[in-house]
Amino acid sequence: MANDMSENIKDVSMLDVANANENGKKRSQNTIVQSFSKLDIGDHRSTPPLMRRRSTLIFDDDDDPPKHEENVGSEVDLSDDRVQHSAGVADPSLDPDVSADPESSASSLGSITGQPQQQGSAEIGTSRSNASTPQTAAQNVIPVDITWQQGGNKVYVTGSFTGWRKMIGLVPDTTQHGVFHIKLQLPPGTHRFRFIVDNELRFSDFLPTATDQMGNFVNYLEIVSPEVTPKQEVTSQEPAPHQHKRASKAEEPLSARSKLALQIGEDPDDMGDGYSRFHGAVEHQAAYSYTRDIPAVFTDPSVMEQYYLTLDQQQNNQQNMAWLTPPQLPPQLENVILNNYSAAAQAGETGSENNSGALPIPNHVVLNHLATSSIKHNTLCVASIVRYKRKYATQMLYAPLQ
Amino acid sequence: MATNTPEAIAIEQKLAVQSIRKFLESKTSYDVLPVSYRLIVMDTSLLVKKSLNILLQNNIVSAPLWDSRTSRFAGLLTSSDFINVIQYYFSNPDKFELVDKLQLDGLRDVERAIGVRPLDTGSIHPFKPLYDACCKMLESRSRRIPLIDQDEETRREIVVSVLTQYRILKFVALNCRETRYLKRPIGELGIITEGDLLRCDMHTPVIDVIQLLTQGGVSSIPIVDEHGKLVNVYEAVDVLGLIKGGIYNDLSLSVGEALMRRSDDFEGVYTCTQNDKLVTIMDTIRKSRVHRFFVVNEEGYLTGVLTLSDILKYILFEEK
Repeated sequence: MANDMSENIKDVSMLDVANANENGKKRSQNTIVQSFSKLDIGDHRSTPPLMRRRSTLIFDDDDDPPKHEENVGSEVDLSDDRVQHSAGVADPSLDPDVSADPESSASSLGSITGQPQQQGSAEIGTSRSNASTPQTAAQNVIPVDITWQQGGNKVYVTGSFTGWRKMIGLVPDTTQHGVFHIKLQLPPGTHRFRFIVDNELRFSDFLPTATDQMGNFVNYLEIVSPEVTPKQEVTSQEPAPHQHKRASKAEEPLSARSKLALQIGEDPDDMGDGYSRFHGAVEHQAAYSYTRDIPAVFTDPSVMEQYYLTLDQQQNNQQNMAWLTPPQLPPQLENVILNNYSAAAQAGETGSENNSGALPIPNHVVLNHLATSSIKHNTLCVASIVRYKRKYATQMLYAPLQ
Repeated sequence: MATNTPEAIAIEQKLAVQSIRKFLESKTSYDVLPVSYRLIVMDTSLLVKKSLNILLQNNIVSAPLWDSRTSRFAGLLTSSDFINVIQYYFSNPDKFELVDKLQLDGLRDVERAIGVRPLDTGSIHPFKPLYDACCKMLESRSRRIPLIDQDEETRREIVVSVLTQYRILKFVALNCRETRYLKRPIGELGIITEGDLLRCDMHTPVIDVIQLLTQGGVSSIPIVDEHGKLVNVYEAVDVLGLIKGGIYNDLSLSVGEALMRRSDDFEGVYTCTQNDKLVTIMDTIRKSRVHRFFVVNEEGYLTGVLTLSDILKYILFEEK
C-alpha cells in the first residue's frame, strides 16, 4: 500500500494545468507512435525487437542525449512514472538543448529512481528493462543537410553538436560554385553552429540566426524527430464517450483513484486516470478533441469536496487524508532556467556581460508553466516561458498583491 | 600597395559603413534575440519605489510596463522616470506621502506636474529590419525601443523584448567584420558633440546635476576639476542608487558624495581622443558596457563627447 500511496501523490501533481491537456494528447500519440515504430524497424535493422517493445515510450529516448547511458538506464526504472512521461511526450516537436544540460536532466531522472515505482510498472507490463539500450538511443539521429552558399574556398562547420571544438569540413558542390554541403547525423534538439570560411568565423544569411550569451551571432537549427508530423492527424471526437470506451477496454485493474476519476470527471483531462494511460488506447486509432473547459473538479468547490471525500473513503485508514499532502512537483519543473541566469552571466569568458538576457534553452516540457517567486514586500513575481516564433521568451511579471 | 594613404582609408571606411548598413537592413530585431532569453515586465499598479528595487535587484535600468486592466503595453520605465519623481519631490517636499505611494501609472501625472514632455518611445515589430528600429530609436531620441507584436489569436499586444542602442552597436561590433576598416580618426568625421558641454564639479549639489540631465536631455553629466580636467561622470542611471529604498533625503548631497553610492562594478569612465578610430571605439563597445566616450585632449581636458547615438547616426546616415 505504501506503493499505492506514492502513486497517488504523483497523481496529484498532475493538477498542473499544462499537464492536464497533455494527458489527452499523450494517449493519442501512443497509437501513432506505435505504428511509426513499426515502420522504423525496417530502417534500424540491428535492433528491431527493441523498437517494438519500446513502442509506447519512443519519445522519451528522443529527448535523451544518446551519449548518456546511465541516463537511459535510469529511465528503465521510470517506465511507470507518468508524470515524466506525459510531459516528455506532450510536445515532441521541440527538444531541450541536449548538449547544454545533460547533468541536470540526468540528475532529475535520478532523483525519482529511488522511489518505489517498479511494482507498478510490472503490473502494467510496460516494463522494458531490457528494451532500451544505449544503442537504440544512439540511433535516434536525424540526417540534416547543412549548406553554405556564400562562397569561399575551404568551409567548415562547428557548433554545439561538436562542443564547438571539432570542425567538420563541407564538401563543395560540383555544379554550383561557392556552394558547400555536409550531411550530419544530429539528435533532435536545438543546435547552434557557425561556419569557418577560409579561417574566418561566419554565419549563414540563409539559416535562422540568434545571438548567444556573449552576443555573437550564430545560426541555429531546431531538429524535430519525424514522429511529430502525425500529431496533426488527430481527429476530433467527443472526449467523454471515448473516456468510457477506454475505461471498459482497460483490462488491468484500475486504481481506486482512477476509477473515481472516471466517475467524477466527464473530462479526459482529469488527473486521476493515471494507470491505464499507457496501454488503454494502444489498439485502436485514438481520437481526441482538445478542450479549453476546465474540469468541474477544479472549478466547482462542491465537486472538489465530493471528490476528496470519496477519495478519502476509498483509501485505507492509514492513508486517510493523503490528499492533503501537497503535490510533488514534476521533476522536470525543478530545473528552472531562470535560476541559471546569473551563472550564465558569469560564464562570459571574455568578460562581456550577458546583457541581452540570454538564458539556457528551456526543455520544452517547462513551456507554458507558471512559476512564481515567494511573495516579498507584497510583490509577486510570476514567470512563464513561452514560444515566440522559433525562440523562447521567459517573461517575468512583477505585480503587487491587491 | 597604397592602402595607407588617407584617400584609401577613406574609401575603405566608406565601403565598410555601407556594408554595415546593408547588414542592419538585412537583419531584423528578431534575429538579434537569443534563442532563449528573459524579459522583466512590471505591472503598472506597482509602487514606484518597489519598481526601483526590482530594477536594482535584477541589475537592469529599464523595464517595459504592462497595464493588466487593458492588457496592453504601457511604455517603458526608465531612469528618466525616477529623475522626474526626484524633481517633483524636490519642488514639492510636502508631498512625500504622494511620492511614497506613487504607482507606476501615476508617473504620467508627475510628468505633467513638472511640465516635462513625455518621452515618446515608439515601438516596432520584431520582424522589421534593424535599420528601421535604429531610425525609430533615433527619431524618438530614446536609447531603447520596445519590440511589440500581436498575438495571433487574441490580437493582444505582446512585449517581445527591448533593444537598446548599446545592444545594437555591440551586435555590430561583434558580428560585422567590416568594423576593422573604420580607420579614419573620429575627429575627421564630424560626429563628436563639441563645445560648451554641460558639466559640473565634485561639489555641485546632486540635485543640480539631476536638473542638468533633464535640461540637456542627456544621459550623463561629466564632472571636471577646477581646470576643466575630466575626473568622473554622473549618469542618469546613478539616480537609481541615490533613491534606493524610496529614500529621498539625500538630495542635498554633493555629486561627489552621491557617487559613493555607486556599486563596485561600475565600468569606469571611457575616454577617447580626436585621433582615435571607430574601430577602436567599436572594439571597446564589444568588450565593455560603455554608453558614451568623453573626448579629451592630450592633457586630459574635456573637449567633447561621442555618444552611442552619434555613432549610430553615422553608421545609418553618413558615407552615402
